[in-house]
Amino acid sequence: MMKSTLLRSLAGIGLLVVSHGPLAGEQLARTYTIGLIAKSQGNPVFQAARVGALEAAKALGAKHAVTIKIDWRTPNEEDAQKQAEAIEQLVLAGADGIAVSCSDANKLTDAINSAVRRGVPVATFDSDAPASKRFVTFGIDDRKCGDQTMDELARLMHGKGVVAILAGNPNAPNLQKRVQGAREAARRYSGITVRETYYHKETPQDAAAKVEQVMHANPDIAGWCFIGGWPLFTDNALRWTPGSIKCVSVDALPAQLPYLRSGHVQLLLGQQSYDWGYRSVEHLINRLHLKKDPAAVHDVSALMPVTLGNVDEHAKRWEKWLPR
Amino acid sequence: MSEPATSSQTVRRSRFRMQESGLVVVIVLLGLLLTVFGGTVKAPVFETDAQGNPQRVFRTNAAGEREPVLVEKNKFLNAQNLAQLAKDTSFIAIMAVGATFVIIAGGIDLSVGAIYALASVLGALVFRQFGPEGAHGGAPSWLGVGAGVCACVGAATLAGLFNGGMIVLLKVHPFIITLGTMAIYRGVAFVITKGQSVGGFPEAFRSSIRWEVGNGLSLVPLAVMVLVALAGGFYLSRLVAGRRVYAVGGNELASQYSGIRVERVKLSVFIYSGLTAGIAALLSLGYYGAATSGDGQGYELNVIAAAVVGGASLSGGKGTALGALLGALVIQMISSGIVILGIDQNYSQIIIGGVVILAVVLDQLNNRLAARRAARA
Repeated sequence: MMKSTLLRSLAGIGLLVVSHGPLAGEQLARTYTIGLIAKSQGNPVFQAARVGALEAAKALGAKHAVTIKIDWRTPNEEDAQKQAEAIEQLVLAGADGIAVSCSDANKLTDAINSAVRRGVPVATFDSDAPASKRFVTFGIDDRKCGDQTMDELARLMHGKGVVAILAGNPNAPNLQKRVQGAREAARRYSGITVRETYYHKETPQDAAAKVEQVMHANPDIAGWCFIGGWPLFTDNALRWTPGSIKCVSVDALPAQLPYLRSGHVQLLLGQQSYDWGYRSVEHLINRLHLKKDPAAVHDVSALMPVTLGNVDEHAKRWEKWLPR
Repeated sequence: MSEPATSSQTVRRSRFRMQESGLVVVIVLLGLLLTVFGGTVKAPVFETDAQGNPQRVFRTNAAGEREPVLVEKNKFLNAQNLAQLAKDTSFIAIMAVGATFVIIAGGIDLSVGAIYALASVLGALVFRQFGPEGAHGGAPSWLGVGAGVCACVGAATLAGLFNGGMIVLLKVHPFIITLGTMAIYRGVAFVITKGQSVGGFPEAFRSSIRWEVGNGLSLVPLAVMVLVALAGGFYLSRLVAGRRVYAVGGNELASQYSGIRVERVKLSVFIYSGLTAGIAALLSLGYYGAATSGDGQGYELNVIAAAVVGGASLSGGKGTALGALLGALVIQMISSGIVILGIDQNYSQIIIGGVVILAVVLDQLNNRLAARRAARA
């Protein structure tokens, strides 16, 4: 038994050593390590944020003659506790600053405050922890985002018809605000009826399956308000005849663009997900290196409307944003 | 309750000791690796002010600027990091002790993550009632803490009882029942909270779990983890009821013929599994201060992995509580080591997955070799 456990140990250690890249502890002068914690690994918007952060590290590093290292510590699936642990681990591992998109603001507040108390500034992006001591938050105004998405859909439907809202993780505070905004906007149109808000596990397959199930059960639905673009991250998610059902979706990722071109979706409202990473690193370097604070705690980014008219131009942006 | 040790029990206990000492060797080797290759980190120095709050220490440098005083520490081998490691391990380790009971008895509990979520939100709802903004905010703190603890741990224990009851009464494989209850418990947690995060707990509760010594060392999760492992270890190795768990997992039919009430043993292990999930949920509530129905997603796999790395056999009859704790610690050390060594996180799942598979394969290999040796003898 002892032998097998020892073998087990050596195998584990071997794996750790084999996978070991450049050794830590190679201290360079004026090196900043920025911990980047998104909500989940699988969501492409967070991969764009990661690319944005890496690009910012390169550009700002050259500009200020410093080395900026991005330490990506994102849970595989949404897990606020793991995010809190990642913040604590990054602080102990010597990160100079941390940017986080909070899966549960309540759960992350203490971890953020503890990091700040230990001298590590924290920025939030996409999803904020308003009661924490983060020095800046970058992202859209979620309530307005939901409002704008539903408003655009209602206009496309000439103010009448049955619509459904597609949300993702029901625990995510930013999505709750978007749903609230969408429902408030729908109330402004007397002819619009919201059938229901539908949640899913935030994977493209789950989202696409949810849309299909709902359409089978509710054939009278004439419009979809996607407050996140999940189903459009996979092919052939929308089985309706192009134009027969109106659809407006938040996010405008490359995988979503064919749906605009095919006419299944009329409008995409792109979040600046690349900038989540870029701006967060910029804010942190301003704070750490230039000792400069942001003009306001809330750095609000606008949604980018993408239609059939500007879809090619938007596609070109993604050539820069996606990892090569 | 305890029986006089037979020679076979003595042999088995000595094998356990060897197995656990093997895991200790792994942990020491991993620790050495991380200490040597982890490098150093400059950490700020803190002092306690008149109110007892930690404050950073500053000095004025040659240029007349105020700068924090920093002290260089080994990234791995420092008190803060070790306390953090213990805290991060504790939630999974505590649940892994309960899961080990189930695995030793030849079962599996896929619902521990969902029980953790359900217990968290039920406990959170009660704690909130006694929190600063709750309806009973003015009640004595012991009442609020007591009610929340009972709700959290009680709900988890009842969920375990429900699992065990269904398995025994319906005679359905635990995999199926707990797969179903995993969805049910999480669904109930979602319906109760409507997907909202529940926070705002009594300060007395939070400060007792987050109680710190020295320079921010949070030791309560560590203490609870050790107590749970010791209690679990004592139960399994010293009490008749614990030996029955091994007997049922080793050979259910033989246990039945020898007069062991197999159903009762099965019921009890699921109750313990629920209980430990409740204890872990309680610690999480106190430490992180909030709960949602999404808590503990996928934890069942981490818990089972910890138990298996700790030496529990999925075919039953083998495993220890201390092994579960050490298994969880090994996995957490690898996970934390990835951060300390600055390895790209993309590799972490591959490494941890590889370690789990290797553990199981080596265990099976060891069993085959042992069987061959026994046949020769």
